[in-house]
Amino acid sequence: MTLTLITRRTRTLSEIFTWWTSSLQFIFMAIFGLWVINKAGGLVYQRSFADGLAQLTSNEYLVLAGTLHGIHAITSRLSPIPGQSSGAQVIEGETFKISVLLTLTGTKFILLTSPAEPASSIDVLLQKIYTTYAEKVMQNPFHTPEMPIRSEAFDDWIHIITLSLRS
Amino acid sequence: MTIYSLYIYDRHCTCVYYHDWHRTRRPKLAVEGGILPAVSQAVVALAAETNSSTLTIYSSPRNTLTSASGVVVAVNEMNAQSAVSPLLQAPPSPVGISSTGLAFDEEVKLVYGVVLSLRNMIKKLSGRDEQFLNYRTSAYKLHLFETLSGYKFVMLSDPGTESLRFVLRQIYVGPFLEYVVRNPLVNMDSKEYGIDNEYFRTSVDRMIRGSSFFP
Repeated sequence: MTLTLITRRTRTLSEIFTWWTSSLQFIFMAIFGLWVINKAGGLVYQRSFADGLAQLTSNEYLVLAGTLHGIHAITSRLSPIPGQSSGAQVIEGETFKISVLLTLTGTKFILLTSPAEPASSIDVLLQKIYTTYAEKVMQNPFHTPEMPIRSEAFDDWIHIITLSLRS
Repeated sequence: MTIYSLYIYDRHCTCVYYHDWHRTRRPKLAVEGGILPAVSQAVVALAAETNSSTLTIYSSPRNTLTSASGVVVAVNEMNAQSAVSPLLQAPPSPVGISSTGLAFDEEVKLVYGVVLSLRNMIKKLSGRDEQFLNYRTSAYKLHLFETLSGYKFVMLSDPGTESLRFVLRQIYVGPFLEYVVRNPLVNMDSKEYGIDNEYFRTSVDRMIRGSSFFP
């Protein structure tokens, strides 16, 4: 309870003193979860790392992933300036943010983190996860493309990669 | 840093106000009946002007204001647009080209749909009554401020901008309360009219142009 109060407080302060909170961001770092969405909008991997967000059922996660897939497509069409726009890359709430990496094949990697997490380290992390996905999932002859990922090796590697940022 | 556009939605999911600044390509004009009157003149087709002007000038009590009595406080009819000063008149939008390729009424619905879905998603994910703040793509950033009464202020800016929630709040606390809520001639919550009027538009325009993030 006190923790949410503290995070709320820093959120309001951050709008006024951005310079001040930039020094605080190291205190409130957390990775809440990782999703992998296939090119059809189906959730093929979902994992939670830290408390702080609601515990949802797998069905609810499926619905949310589908919604996000749709929103991502629409946001790329709403650009007010001429030229191509990507879909939503970062979506921010008050106590967490959603970062999206869209790969060339249409697979989306979604990372839920605390809002203070710097964008650069999230990008690095998402790229690492993508590499791991290529190595441990796509190179696995027993994996069916576009189907849920059930791979212990992938699980372990994700655990190791995210540890570096979580500690 | 650039501001592109501002949308205001009421609690009935309808767009009641639209304003744009550095938008090089406007949306296509809305189809007739696609959006409410008095939302923005820049994006409304003026087909109704010629045939309805003689009719509605007597049917609506609001039009007493557009006589030569002085200041126009609420312009709620499309055919009263000639009374608006040329400063506020947006330059004619180029026909046929738009960044989104959508008509304005469709664009408005898409923006609302995205905002509403994301808001619900954030609420669901956090498990609390948490607000959705903004999202960013490679070309723009969308900011949301929602009031307790269900009015949603949506602003599009360039992707490098910090959170503009405080600006949207300022618009709400300043011009919106002053020239819309406290204006008895603006028919809020009517589902028939937008809230566009000269004072509100000028005031919002001045506020945005005067702010530090406006080039």
